[in-house]
Amino acid sequence: MAETETDASVVVDGLHVKYHVRAEGNHLASPLAGRGLRRRHLLEVHALRDINLRFDTGEVVGVVGANGSGKSSLLRCIAGLQARTAGRVLVRGEARLLGVQAALKPRLSGYHNVILGGLAMGLSRTEVDERLPEVVSFSGVGDAIWRPMETYSSGMRARVAFSIATMRSPEVLLLDEALAVGDRAFRDRSIGRIASMQDQARTVVMVSHNLDEIRRACSRAVWIDEGCVRLDGPASEVLDAYTSLSAG
Amino acid sequence: MPPVLRDAHDTQQLGRYFAGLWGRRSYAWYVAVSELRSRQITSRLGNVWHLLNPILQVLVYWVIFGLLVDGVARGVENYVLFLAIGVFVYLDFQRAAIAGANSIQNNKGLIRSLHFPRAIVPITAVITESLATVPSVLVVYATAVLTGAPLRWTWLLLPLVFVFQFFLNVGSALIAARTSTHFSDFNQILPFIFRLGLYVSGVLFAVESFASESQLRLFEINPAYCFIEIARWSIMGGELKAAWLVSVTLWLGALPLVALLWFRKGEELYGRD
Repeated sequence: MAETETDASVVVDGLHVKYHVRAEGNHLASPLAGRGLRRRHLLEVHALRDINLRFDTGEVVGVVGANGSGKSSLLRCIAGLQARTAGRVLVRGEARLLGVQAALKPRLSGYHNVILGGLAMGLSRTEVDERLPEVVSFSGVGDAIWRPMETYSSGMRARVAFSIATMRSPEVLLLDEALAVGDRAFRDRSIGRIASMQDQARTVVMVSHNLDEIRRACSRAVWIDEGCVRLDGPASEVLDAYTSLSAG
Repeated sequence: MPPVLRDAHDTQQLGRYFAGLWGRRSYAWYVAVSELRSRQITSRLGNVWHLLNPILQVLVYWVIFGLLVDGVARGVENYVLFLAIGVFVYLDFQRAAIAGANSIQNNKGLIRSLHFPRAIVPITAVITESLATVPSVLVVYATAVLTGAPLRWTWLLLPLVFVFQFFLNVGSALIAARTSTHFSDFNQILPFIFRLGLYVSGVLFAVESFASESQLRLFEINPAYCFIEIARWSIMGGELKAAWLVSVTLWLGALPLVALLWFRKGEELYGRD
């Protein structure tokens, strides 16, 4: 079985995700619409169908696919944040997901958010204080670190969030468009940090629409299409196939 | 030694869950203290409202039931002190449950970004409210002195009442937190539940002057009633009934643990839309 394989850090085995969302009914089609009543439907969304994947320690894997293809659902499942319908997800150690809108407490300053994030990850106060200067300088937001995070631009928010998430590197780091809004300098530094995590035998899985970013950071790529794995292999091959399809 | 492969969705074993919570104690403390500090900044009177609100409530009830309406204060010698203890102890229950119910929503960003035992969120909310409640013990003492209540050694037990109450509050906050993720309307209903509870917890009147012996048994099931009566005994003297202590002990033994187990069962639910 998969769990005996020593190098695997993530094993996804026959994963299905179906969920129900409450959606407003179609006003025109609903007979009650005229009386101001809206029917609420339970809409079934089949996000992932029979996904089988294995990521090894020290691998940096890019995940590509169209919007709504199930990339984020896959990452949320690996992070244990999304309920699955069938199948298994095994993770060695902690899997941390970093998304786009990640201010922990928008009304507190970036500085407070760093402390809060470190403590919530289970660091002690002394450990947080030790890492604080390095984390703040890595984020590169300067004096803005003292301003409430709700006043940050999306790029600054992403910088602080990435710095928090990597202040104690998890065994598996999942990035969901986490670098998308950062500027060139920040992206370069982040990719440098991802590479150093790879050296420490961590696993990084990144979802991105920036194919150049994936080409630079990843050796392997997975193409998700309508909830299924369409292609899985060396990054260059998968990206070529993906681009040729979107171009054609 | 690298960790082993483990199911990402397995709720952690209870022991590991507890260890995870204990490992976040500096988080809880830090958040509680900075929350109180930010309340101080955002409102001119800041945390004073935490005391002013119950003091005003006591005044309102005293004017209505102590001066205007006859009969409610029946059988109570020092009605102001009686009210003050009732209101402060009862509010401690109410604030903790409401804070628990709001805690998941208020910490959505944190819950969505990081993986940690979610129970720390409502527990932190209770710690925050409890810290803000500390000065109310002093207000009760002040009321006792000002209304000329005779000094007793049992006055020293009042802080203990609040300490035990803390553990019960953790239980109710955890239950409120999970309930509010299932029904978002719960947060609107909760204040009315507590409004109703005010009348069945003997905050405003001495229950034994109104209730029959068999009705009294029902009151004794209510932990808020028992806590209020024990607190009143510690300041005002009188009889300490064994039934109150038994009831409180049973609640303390059962509620926090049952609530934590139930909350943990819903670990994946928190932080979703």
